[in-house]
Amino acid sequence: MLLLVACLLGTVQAKQLAIVSDKGNLVSNITATDLIKMFNAHSRTWPDGKPITIVMRDPSGTDMQLVLHKLFNMTPDQARSFIQAHRDAIMVADSDDAVVRFVSTSRGALGVIDLYSLTKDVNVVKIDGKLPVEQGYLLKGN
Amino acid sequence: MQNISRNMLRIATALGAMVALAMIATAQETVSQQPNAQTAVFPLTTKSPEARRLVEEALTLYLDRVEQAQAIEILRKAVQVDPDFAMGHEVLAQISLDSAEQVGEQAKAFATRQHASAAEQTIIEWYQDAGDHKLISAITKMNEVLSQYPRDKWVVWMTTWWLQNQAQYERVIAVYEHSGITDSPGLINNIGYNYAYTRQFDKAFAMMDRYVAALPDDANPQDSYAEILRLAGRFNQSIEHYRAALAINPDFYSSQFGIADTYSLMGDQARARQEYEVGFRKFPLPELQRILWRTREAASYVREGDYEGANRAFQAIADYAHARDNSQAEADTYRQMAEYQQDPKQALIFLGRAEAATQEGKNTMKIAISQELAQILRARVEIAVKMSNKEIADSSLERLTGMSDSSNDKLIELAYHGAAGTVLFSEKKYDQAISHLEEDVNNPFSLKLLQTAYLKIGYTAGAKRTNDTLANLNDPTLEQALIVPAFRKCLDTPSCNGNTKSASLKK
Repeated sequence: MLLLVACLLGTVQAKQLAIVSDKGNLVSNITATDLIKMFNAHSRTWPDGKPITIVMRDPSGTDMQLVLHKLFNMTPDQARSFIQAHRDAIMVADSDDAVVRFVSTSRGALGVIDLYSLTKDVNVVKIDGKLPVEQGYLLKGN
Repeated sequence: MQNISRNMLRIATALGAMVALAMIATAQETVSQQPNAQTAVFPLTTKSPEARRLVEEALTLYLDRVEQAQAIEILRKAVQVDPDFAMGHEVLAQISLDSAEQVGEQAKAFATRQHASAAEQTIIEWYQDAGDHKLISAITKMNEVLSQYPRDKWVVWMTTWWLQNQAQYERVIAVYEHSGITDSPGLINNIGYNYAYTRQFDKAFAMMDRYVAALPDDANPQDSYAEILRLAGRFNQSIEHYRAALAINPDFYSSQFGIADTYSLMGDQARARQEYEVGFRKFPLPELQRILWRTREAASYVREGDYEGANRAFQAIADYAHARDNSQAEADTYRQMAEYQQDPKQALIFLGRAEAATQEGKNTMKIAISQELAQILRARVEIAVKMSNKEIADSSLERLTGMSDSSNDKLIELAYHGAAGTVLFSEKKYDQAISHLEEDVNNPFSLKLLQTAYLKIGYTAGAKRTNDTLANLNDPTLEQALIVPAFRKCLDTPSCNGNTKSASLKK
């Protein structure tokens, strides 16, 4: 009887992705412009000089479509080639848990995960001053 | 069926969360901060072995036997035996079918949490955060407990249930599959629904076969099978399984109402109402369940275009809720009355009554009142747009925007997106409307607009997908009643929007 909760089958649920950093990272907010630069390997270091390492899931997965569209502006194949060419700056993990594990233990790492995979081991980084639950957040949608 | 949630009345927006907990051994024990995740068993902390035994019994009844009313009675005894049993209060808060009890028990759980272990405290705070619109904190705490007890049946149940109510079906499936648990009938049932929600019906039916095999003498596996068959549009088979459930247990009332709901979806409203009345005569029902099925019965009048009959039936529900001091149910009933009114001015009057009920706020969690108010504002926007009353539409949307901006609540946000999409659609700003409507794909009103908006911008694949979704929506709610039957009729009408012909109705 609880089907009242969710009865539209086959519809696409809006995704909410969170950008996460290690607990020692003091950066709590990144502009969308800077984030795009980081994901495109145009910005390679944090203000304190630490190298930035991006960690994400397989770009061809459905979970990463928002990232491809809003941060890379590439097709999955283009993104895969790009990542292959920038292995020192961008890593691919096989699960959100793996992303969190890596980010939580790697100074300077910046991960992207589904909001519902968030743990206390990492910090959520705002984008343009917004958290994933707020209106107008960049990495939310279908 | 699955057990009913505390917020079940908010139809497609229900956010109720059920709790299930496990138990172990000695009194006043404290859980290790870092249990072995492979074997860790979630603790229940109480000074009374009897209270623990009662909670264990209630949990088994609730989860695996779906005997919610019995479980509630036993939990009440447990917290009487040990009033400081924080998790006992929390479980009762989550599974109670009485709104005042839900509020009171949540407060007691939070107030007594210092008597509980760290893990129990985290769970209580997780639910408190969820209730206080602190979604990020709630998620973090949920995952903290899950990481400590990924194979504990009760923690897996709590997590998957909460995620399900957040519409995170794929994550539910991932958590379950990672748990390696294969011997819990309650979890098998739950995951079967989640496969169905993600339209993986083959897997859903396989789960139901396992569920039936695990509990061949129980009614609920047949009831769940029936519900999932109905979701898939297999109505006759669904009724057969509901009848099989009643044959096993003639007192399994949800199957009686399931039959009624199914006839209603099939378009036989007279038969549906006969079946509802059989249920009401035969079974004493908890308050929230009575309201739920009275609402379904009232919606049957809407399905056949008898708006006077619907008004009488819905008004009786509103009066009942008012007499029981259940402000949220009263408000929700008036909101639904507004939705089917043919005269927009009358609709606004009902919305006024709905908002007045939310202001009374009796026996209702703060979050439930906020969510209901958001639904009311969304309905007001839709009605104002129909009336071409830009002033009301804009002012209501502004209030809703403010609520959405200031809360981390998913349901309020969905209401905002539905309302914003409606306004933008009316202004022919289809691209912008789509970006909002796509966020609200659990609502038939939004889906209908989305389908047209896709057509307007030439995105035929999106329109086709949306058509399919609408055509195959088998959900016995008022919103479905107002949108889907007319949409299906359109499929068979040559003069109707040609593109909807591309939708395939699965039978």
